[in-house]
Amino acid sequence: MAISRPAAPATRARRRSAGQPWPVILLFLAPALLLYLGFTIDPAFRTFYNSVHTIKPRGVEEFVGLAHFRELLTADPVFWKSVANTMIWAVAAPIPDVGIGLLLALCLYAKVPLARFFRVVWFTPVLLSYVVVGIIWMWVYNFEWGVANELLRWVGLSGLAHSWLGDPKTALWSVMFTHVWKWTGFNMVVCLAALYALPTEILEAASLDNCGWARRLVFIMIPIMWRTLLNLLILSFIGKMRVFDLVWIMTGGGPLWSTETVSTYVYKRAFEWNTFDLGYPSTIAALWFVVVLAFALSLSWLFRQRDRLEY
Amino acid sequence: MSAKRSLARGWLVRGAVAGALAVAIALPAAAETTITIWSHEADEPAKVAWREKAARNFEAKNPDVKVKITWYDKPALNAALRTALRAGQGPDIFYAEPDQVEYITNGFATPLDDLVNWNNIYDWARGVWTHNGKTYGLPQEAYTIELYYNKELMKKVGVTLPPSGQVGQAQFLDIVKKAAAAGITPISQGVGDRPYPGVYLSEEALLRRLGRDDYGKLLTGKLSYKDPRVVESLTFVKGLVDAGAYPKSFATLKLGESHYYFHTKPGSLMFPMGSFYTGRAFVPPDKGGQPEGFPLGVMQFPAMDKGACNQCKSLTIGASFILNAGSKNQKLAAGMLNEMATPDMGTLWLETILLQTAIKSDPSKVGGKYAEYFRELLDRNKDAQYFVGIPRDHIQGKCKDVFTQVLNNAFPGGLLTVDAAVDMLNQGCYTN
Repeated sequence: MAISRPAAPATRARRRSAGQPWPVILLFLAPALLLYLGFTIDPAFRTFYNSVHTIKPRGVEEFVGLAHFRELLTADPVFWKSVANTMIWAVAAPIPDVGIGLLLALCLYAKVPLARFFRVVWFTPVLLSYVVVGIIWMWVYNFEWGVANELLRWVGLSGLAHSWLGDPKTALWSVMFTHVWKWTGFNMVVCLAALYALPTEILEAASLDNCGWARRLVFIMIPIMWRTLLNLLILSFIGKMRVFDLVWIMTGGGPLWSTETVSTYVYKRAFEWNTFDLGYPSTIAALWFVVVLAFALSLSWLFRQRDRLEY
Repeated sequence: MSAKRSLARGWLVRGAVAGALAVAIALPAAAETTITIWSHEADEPAKVAWREKAARNFEAKNPDVKVKITWYDKPALNAALRTALRAGQGPDIFYAEPDQVEYITNGFATPLDDLVNWNNIYDWARGVWTHNGKTYGLPQEAYTIELYYNKELMKKVGVTLPPSGQVGQAQFLDIVKKAAAAGITPISQGVGDRPYPGVYLSEEALLRRLGRDDYGKLLTGKLSYKDPRVVESLTFVKGLVDAGAYPKSFATLKLGESHYYFHTKPGSLMFPMGSFYTGRAFVPPDKGGQPEGFPLGVMQFPAMDKGACNQCKSLTIGASFILNAGSKNQKLAAGMLNEMATPDMGTLWLETILLQTAIKSDPSKVGGKYAEYFRELLDRNKDAQYFVGIPRDHIQGKCKDVFTQVLNNAFPGGLLTVDAAVDMLNQGCYTN
């Protein structure tokens, strides 16, 4: 008696693929693929190619091997300063970014008075362009008439009034604070969506068991939302590793390179150094791409391992 | 059948007429050439009007040519140019300043030696754009580094300047201290959006103390910043900084804002600035200009103790134009450059922009309400010995970056000691 057995997965996949109208699929995919190839893949490969060349206008290219990498890693203190600043930013900022976003989302979830109004207000900075945000906060930080110092003077702490963007000790943190202000609203919205997606039966069961708000948050809500929070942290981390706009507008990397990030340094080397050479800036960009990718993959892997242990 | 043929013939005739009309319409357009210019200084109405006037003059002399000027702010212009030129495109003529030698070294600039009528341009100005025996830019704007002051505030702090307008180091420090004590910001200056204003005090002190030759050596990396004369000059500047010479918002104050800070709110005693000050200040107050009747004076940077050249002064070229080597209209574009460099246009520049120019012209023709200012400016420059170029014109790459971070931002911002500044400058710029 012949026994029919379910088809092996490979065979099933082959059959499914044989039945697909590939020409039509390709036709519909082609525009997006072409755009992706032209504007993402090709520039990325081109950057790696440029990183081992000196690139001059009119197609003049000179192969230099790893010379740019050697110079970058051994003889460029500004690069290392920019790496340090970027790492401080990428490690320190995601925590308040996501933490404050979660707190604001909890406020809205708990239906505080004027919740609808606050939802709009807290989300508005996300909609503003970096240029607008940068200019507004440069005014806020202005020594003479900025809101930050005026507030300090008003409460009698004029001794703490400060040139926030003009002092290397405070410039990086001031710009970081502005960045957090801009992006917290985004994290808030994502956290709010995750909160509304929580299974109500679990929360109700916890309430029946006299589980308080704080304990529910720590032992039930956050663990269930953990994947969302993790994704937000990784996204925030990657975003910070590439931060450019706000720094460029507010400080241009100064004073004394105290706010220089890898991205602003790449731009300076490519467009501000009286040279049309794209080789060296491409070296920085290529190296940093690898670093960001490695961090993103490592963090994802690390947190996945932790998930496995917990569940 | 014949009806069909006649219908077809009718359509043919109509088609032919339409085609002829289209050709007739298209022909003049095809014959017309457009010269494109990309220019900075969109925010300076007098310069916009002056360049548009030159364009219209050129069009009047060349009926088949249109001149299209696209106006930019400087960073946007530089970004657009770099992208366009790399791609082998860009305008026929573009704005540049003498420190932008990359256009020359990368072959984007056509040598103008045989294309421009250099009889109309001062030799020293041509020299600024001359590299390896060839001239690559048409200089238009010339400016000196001046020390402007508010005459009323100077009286208020109880200082009477000598007729020469120049005081010594100790007196200058005293003026700064008196102003600070009176609650007046001694010097308006900001480096929020420019890499050079913070250097003015230091560069003029160094030039006067070292003299032209050694100052030139310093800027080209042949003289150490540890030279005692350099250290003394920077120590003098540090004393001014420590006495509260600059606004606390120095690091973020932008160029336009520093003008407003000086002449309108809150007002400062002095304002070191290129003599292009007029471009922003001599426009109506509602457009950011100085108030009507503002008591503007021009003094001299302080004479340095043991100064090698206390009459020295920085003079440089600002706005200039380059002929794109990739332009297909080289001769016409050169004609347009010549149109901007006639003596009449030079005089119009003086009359309307109230700023020195590289075009040979007659300053005595300047009249109107700003004539007095112009006379004072010329008087302050009467016995001057010029050093051509500001530091940015002489330094490149890493040195430029270090110089900007240290002497433009951190040192005048009070963030560095003299020793630290000297060490950093030597590391970045000293080549011996």
